[in-house]
Amino acid sequence: MSPADSSAAPATAPKHAPAHHPDAHPAHEGPLGIAPAGTVHVSHDHHELGFIRKYIFSVDHKVIAIQFMLTGLFFLVLGGLFAMAIRHQVAWPWKPIPGMGLLFPETGGVISPEFYTMLFTMHGTIMIFFVIIPLLTGAFGNFLIPLMVGAPDMAFPKLNMFGYWAMIPAIFFAILGFFVEGGAAAAGWTAYPPLSTILSAAPGSLNGQTCWLMALTWVGVSSMMGAVNYVTTIVKMRAPGLTMMRLPLSIWGLFISALLQLFALPVLTAASILQLLDRTLHTGFFTPSNLLVNSVRPEAFQSAGTAAIDAASGGHPLLWQHLFWFYSHPAVYIMVLPAMGFASDILSVHARKPVFGYKPMVYSICAIAGLGFIVWGHHMFTSGMNPALGMSFMVATIMIALPSAVKVFNWIGTLWGSRIHLTSAMLNALAFVSMFIIGGLSGIWMAATPVDIYIHDTYIVVAHFHYVVFAGSVFAIWAGIYHWFPKMFGRQMNETLGKLHFIGSFVFTNGVFYMMHQLGLAGLMRRTADPYTYTTYAHLQECNELITICAFLLFAWQIFFVINFFHSMFWGKRVGRNPWKANTLEWDAPSPPGHGNFDRELAVYRGPYEFGSPEVAEDYLPQTRKLGDGAGKPAPAHAHH
Amino acid sequence: MSVPQPLRGRLAIAAGLSGLLFVACSEPRRPELSYTLSANSKQLLADAPTAQAQLLGTLGMLFGSPADPSYAVPEEWIDDERNPNSGLAEMSEARQAELVAANQRAFATAIAHVEKGEFALVAPAREALDLQADWAPIRAGYDEIAAGVKKGTKTQADLDKYVAENKADALALFTDWYPSLRESAELYRTQCLHCHGTNGDGKGSTAPYLSPAPRDYQRGAFKWTALNDKARPRRADLYRVIENGVNGTAMLSFKRFSPTQLEGLVDYVRMLSIRGETERRLAGSFDADEGFKIEAVQEEYLDVWSSWDKSDAHVIAYDGEVPASTPEVIERGRVLFNDATGANCVSCHGVKGRGDGASAMEVDPETGKPVLKKDDWGNQLSPRDLTGGIYRGGDRPIDLYRRLYAGINGSYMPAHSTIKDPQGNRKVTDEDLWAIVHYVRSLAQGKRL
Amino acid sequence: MSLLNPSNGWWTALAVLVAALLVLVTFVKYTRLWLVLLIGLVPVLGVWTFVKAPEWGLWFPEDVSTHGKGMDQLFYMIMWMVTFTFVLTEVALVWCVFRYHEKVPGKSLFTHGSHKLEMIWTAIPAVALLVIAFAQIGTFKRIKFENHWPTGGPYSAQKPIAHVIAYQFAWLMRYPDENGSFDSVDVVESPFDFVVPVDTDIMFHLKSRDVLHSFFLPNLRLKQDAVPGMTIPMWFKATKVGEYDLICAELCGWGHYKMAGKLIVKSKADYDAWLAQKRAELKSNGKADLSNMEEGQ
Repeated sequence: MSPADSSAAPATAPKHAPAHHPDAHPAHEGPLGIAPAGTVHVSHDHHELGFIRKYIFSVDHKVIAIQFMLTGLFFLVLGGLFAMAIRHQVAWPWKPIPGMGLLFPETGGVISPEFYTMLFTMHGTIMIFFVIIPLLTGAFGNFLIPLMVGAPDMAFPKLNMFGYWAMIPAIFFAILGFFVEGGAAAAGWTAYPPLSTILSAAPGSLNGQTCWLMALTWVGVSSMMGAVNYVTTIVKMRAPGLTMMRLPLSIWGLFISALLQLFALPVLTAASILQLLDRTLHTGFFTPSNLLVNSVRPEAFQSAGTAAIDAASGGHPLLWQHLFWFYSHPAVYIMVLPAMGFASDILSVHARKPVFGYKPMVYSICAIAGLGFIVWGHHMFTSGMNPALGMSFMVATIMIALPSAVKVFNWIGTLWGSRIHLTSAMLNALAFVSMFIIGGLSGIWMAATPVDIYIHDTYIVVAHFHYVVFAGSVFAIWAGIYHWFPKMFGRQMNETLGKLHFIGSFVFTNGVFYMMHQLGLAGLMRRTADPYTYTTYAHLQECNELITICAFLLFAWQIFFVINFFHSMFWGKRVGRNPWKANTLEWDAPSPPGHGNFDRELAVYRGPYEFGSPEVAEDYLPQTRKLGDGAGKPAPAHAHH
Repeated sequence: MSVPQPLRGRLAIAAGLSGLLFVACSEPRRPELSYTLSANSKQLLADAPTAQAQLLGTLGMLFGSPADPSYAVPEEWIDDERNPNSGLAEMSEARQAELVAANQRAFATAIAHVEKGEFALVAPAREALDLQADWAPIRAGYDEIAAGVKKGTKTQADLDKYVAENKADALALFTDWYPSLRESAELYRTQCLHCHGTNGDGKGSTAPYLSPAPRDYQRGAFKWTALNDKARPRRADLYRVIENGVNGTAMLSFKRFSPTQLEGLVDYVRMLSIRGETERRLAGSFDADEGFKIEAVQEEYLDVWSSWDKSDAHVIAYDGEVPASTPEVIERGRVLFNDATGANCVSCHGVKGRGDGASAMEVDPETGKPVLKKDDWGNQLSPRDLTGGIYRGGDRPIDLYRRLYAGINGSYMPAHSTIKDPQGNRKVTDEDLWAIVHYVRSLAQGKRL
Repeated sequence: MSLLNPSNGWWTALAVLVAALLVLVTFVKYTRLWLVLLIGLVPVLGVWTFVKAPEWGLWFPEDVSTHGKGMDQLFYMIMWMVTFTFVLTEVALVWCVFRYHEKVPGKSLFTHGSHKLEMIWTAIPAVALLVIAFAQIGTFKRIKFENHWPTGGPYSAQKPIAHVIAYQFAWLMRYPDENGSFDSVDVVESPFDFVVPVDTDIMFHLKSRDVLHSFFLPNLRLKQDAVPGMTIPMWFKATKVGEYDLICAELCGWGHYKMAGKLIVKSKADYDAWLAQKRAELKSNGKADLSNMEEGQ
């Protein structure tokens, strides 16, 4: 039975029950059913595991991926709730916020200004470090990399498990911040010193900032473990015939973002440890001497005291900004490159057409990553950095728009002359392209230094990065979930609910973020709890109210996704190996794949996007399908390693 | 297993969602902002819960609630036509004219719209609740006719007529506006409450993280005034602090609000202070056997008021020119500064004026370790480091002179005008004070932070 | 922003709601139609809101500086380029969704790309981006590089009009004494108000006492972080007498939103009078405080 035949006949698949059923694989049969003899990549690990080993302390990349996904989705809700509170405050400053009566009983639910700073600090931190990065690299990276390169698991499965479990202390410290004296970190997600290093500079800097730094360090450890695994797996464990230039673009995106993490993350981890030292041992890496902080209150800051302030520390606040953005700018690409990869794959599969310009797509991913390392200074045009340095960062920043533009043109090229199936996954991927255009183009203003002097830290920046990270990455994550859900759980998500979820999300996302451009042009600063007492801002309240109403609707709308996700997980329509008739390797495995992933030998004969090929009658041609002589041989390079 | 599997799932999800909904709806009803008793009164009346309720009720009668604060007006004031609820009556006519001008600036947009007859575009200030309420009927009438014009039942002429009839009233609303206590309480709620607290006791949510601690108004004592004899501050003293902030503290300048709004805040701060003082006195006069004396209430209330009425007589001013700062004067000031038998600044402020003198600390009876002395409010307080050039009560020489002359209310800074030698003469003369002032200012020369 | 304005009637809101419900109900059935409309609306509404924004007041505040012109011109230049690309790509996307649907018989166009097209759509944006990069250098240079600052006026980077000191959560402007010295005991301090003469090249020093702050004058298109431990010289030239907001633009703690100041641009004579009066106040003997009038100037 040829692989193509079986994928065309999903009837053979459903005997594999969903992975979370403890009794899915009777002990005598092994998790995969009968393994064909002589396979290279199939695991022979047949012994049955208990519930804890299988679903909690699992070394299986798929289970770890689902752990990351559920964690990420939980934090998406939490970070979203923070966003709602922020929006409520910005639209109706110092009015009671529903639900806050529990936290602020004396004021009847009116939040305090320092709580507002904690809200946006933790909103940013959670959304970036606990939602987007874990979902893209943790969940999808883990799930897709072994399956898409045809490997039975990650190169280092136990390291992989550690990668997830390193998230647990991170989560613990992030939450703990809210329960320590002074409250959670309040220096913004960028944690600029000296606000973050001087314990008395802000309530949240008393203890919360320490929790924040611990959380960040642990997240870094987690990401690092993942990145080591991804790079090794992609480089060393590809199926025979799967050359680098035959990898799906999702894998390219994940591969390059793992490299970015490998090179940039140590800098952030080192920086956060230095900041931790500044805070605990009163070293002075980031704190200049001769500061006078008003709010040093001896009783509250016994140990912090004046020592940190009087010490002739001679550090420099800009050092942190350089170190922080040296990671956090590449982190922006970590948050968008995999998303770009998913979008490319999903557009190609659901439009039934090869990706237009595969090589330019790969090169532009690499170019974005390369340039991504030398543009961090564009966050610092107004920081007091030497303006000549600003000039060079400006040129690099302007040029990084180029590979992004090439990608957009290629996506449109992919759709040109295609046969678009408007599935939920496709809708979200199309929305990704449509909105990434907005997010990308508004970035050009920010790269123009004189314009940036005005718009730096205004709402136009907020609009820009939410268009990239929310309207871009999160829509790509949704697209990815709709697309790969059948592979994860052997069941399909409900299309009706999926479409309902899409339309509301699309409309309200634009409702929330589009008008922020104009708010920014009007000069509205971000992180301002109550802007309307300034004459410059007094007339902006109506617009903010509209945005907030859209934000509430956007948040409420996600109920469709939550219902769809959990309902489909248990009771969705069962599907076979290849419900989308896609070409890449993961669709060769059973749905869901058992331990060891593949139940037959893999050999790759061609690239991942052979849709509409004239060589076969069907409109797709899986990478593993062997055609008659001369139709493409497996490349020898990896066949016999 | 009579329920089919997919339906079971849907039911489970529905149950989960309704659970969430239930939790979301079960938030306790939001309480109104309300005044509470101070820690001092609670301590004094710890054994008498009824008395606590009585006291709170009495204060409620005298001062209302945060949502609707107003003074009780004694009978004799009604005869005198004195209205304590508006500070406007206490101001000179010139000042009132200034406030009208300030209103014209602050409401320039609204006034321009009114003058053009564009009533639909007028928006009163956010905190000006009463102004909004007064504006609403004018606006409603306008909207009604405007809607009629749209439908065709009314004509543009009707609208123009309405505008012409009401324009003068509408303009007067804005130009003559002076915030009621209710409006000022609303501004206080959004701008001051999270530090100074609902009661003005300096116990807002941000307060624990501030040093110096936010002022507790309830004692009626304020540090940065131009007054002698620990007198209650004048309006101008409070106004200056709100307008300019206090350099080197978290008390910032509120100049972005109009002078009219700031005068309103002065009214409200004064009310919280009078309320706090009345509360302290009433709680202090409580007797476990006899309870409160009802007749004492009005007496105490009027007494507190009278102490606020007399402040103008205590302003410190110097007759004559301020002496120039010369090297000789500064040298003389240095000697006086370090003179242990005279001004003795050195004992707290230290030889170099760093605020590290020996008397700055006291021994903590519990731990036996030296700690900073506490001021009247119970906050640890370090003597000012004079080398930074941060002068909280103002940086003019006359401001420093006043600190030296009258001391700093509530702190260990003594009134040097009252230090007398055995003959009853001032030990530190005015000339000495000026020399010290110039020396102190010279300490920060070129080194101001 | 008329949607939320009750004077326009809740009927508008209701109509929008009904329309939205209609879209929802029919979206599942007529996905393609609605998607074409939705994505099609992105460039339409996107451009429309930018066209209408000045009318709604959601646009640059009045420019009263010499910096603003170059910056605004650059902004508009980029805006036109960006709008062109935005509309072009979104329309192409909509066209694809509209034209290439699954019901069109046959297979998709089987192509893996076009070298020529790739060259074209790499080269054209590259040129456009380089134009943007070089177009901005002059403006940036004039604002930021000290050796390109105007000379000949009463102030310079070495002889600033004032020191602007930021601290949690206030602005303090320190003016020199009569001899132009900042080291004198008779420096003048002006909390909140930064008073400058009109039509003069104003150079000043920016400092911070505690944490990062940012000096932001929306009407003068000027922003610069105040960094503790650094003295940052800056310049601007205000061209119109008036009062303008000075806003802190870098998170500086819980009171960040309160950290306001005012730039007060006066005529040269008024400025001199103001400064003379502030200097005279240092010699005050307190008599003026006897009247409540003092605060009202």
